[in-house]
Amino acid sequence: MRALLLLALLPFCNAVAHEMTPTYPTFSKSFMDGISVTTLSIFNKRKDVSYYEIGVFTDEWEPIPFVSEYTIIPMEYLDTVSFDVYVSNLSLSSVEFICSVSQMQAGATVSSKICSRVK
Amino acid sequence: MKKLLIVSLMLAPHIPAFAEETPISGLVQTRCLITTDTNGVYGNPLPSKLSTASADGGVVPIVRYDVTLADSYLAKITTPTTFSTSPTLSDSVTWTGTTAVSKTSDAGMSGYEAAKVTYGSTTQFDLTIAGSTWFSSESTAVYGVSKSFVGGNYTAIVLAECIAK
Repeated sequence: MRALLLLALLPFCNAVAHEMTPTYPTFSKSFMDGISVTTLSIFNKRKDVSYYEIGVFTDEWEPIPFVSEYTIIPMEYLDTVSFDVYVSNLSLSSVEFICSVSQMQAGATVSSKICSRVK
Repeated sequence: MKKLLIVSLMLAPHIPAFAEETPISGLVQTRCLITTDTNGVYGNPLPSKLSTASADGGVVPIVRYDVTLADSYLAKITTPTTFSTSPTLSDSVTWTGTTAVSKTSDAGMSGYEAAKVTYGSTTQFDLTIAGSTWFSSESTAVYGVSKSFVGGNYTAIVLAECIAK
């Protein structure tokens, strides 16, 4: 009986999660002069989220121009996506945070944001 | 028959085993995982009030943070100050919200609640210990001066942030 009750409750305990690694990314030289690159990875365990927006910021949360394959990454449920972030060497010293933010769909009530720090 | 059995038992250790070793590799990286354990639901105890408090018929949203390295992340949770979807409202809405630690995986995390910093609708926790922490955020919206909310669907969003230190 207890097992039956647990099984009946399981569909309502549907945890959803967002993860980004590494915590402390490091930039290296890219294939282009004057441009540095780092690689991060997002894991989407949120059924209610299909897109994550990437942003690069200073320590004062001012946005820094960057290039990536996608600024808004389309992701399926349980997808892991690795992406490169290219930043000009001129602004590299100002880069402090690289963040991913879930893009909300109708019905979702929690928005998640994870920021890695460039030390 | 007995002799045959004894001989085969004696030979058994010398029979080579044709086995392959299949490695399973894994990498544990420093990470922060934000998990929505419970989605919030607004109760409507009064015509002018929406509240996630269980006493008001609501469901408090619960967000879990898992960190694998101590003292690497700050958790910032912001309760709503606007509806993301709602019918057209002609009057102002007064918002209140609180975020608290509801459960921890380590006894050492008991100090998180006392050390939290609140500014505006955001509450910040310093995740100084590796493990899991559950945070619950209560949210209340009051419409006008005892005005009745317009009928329809209302959604508001809690922002859960995990910022590397």
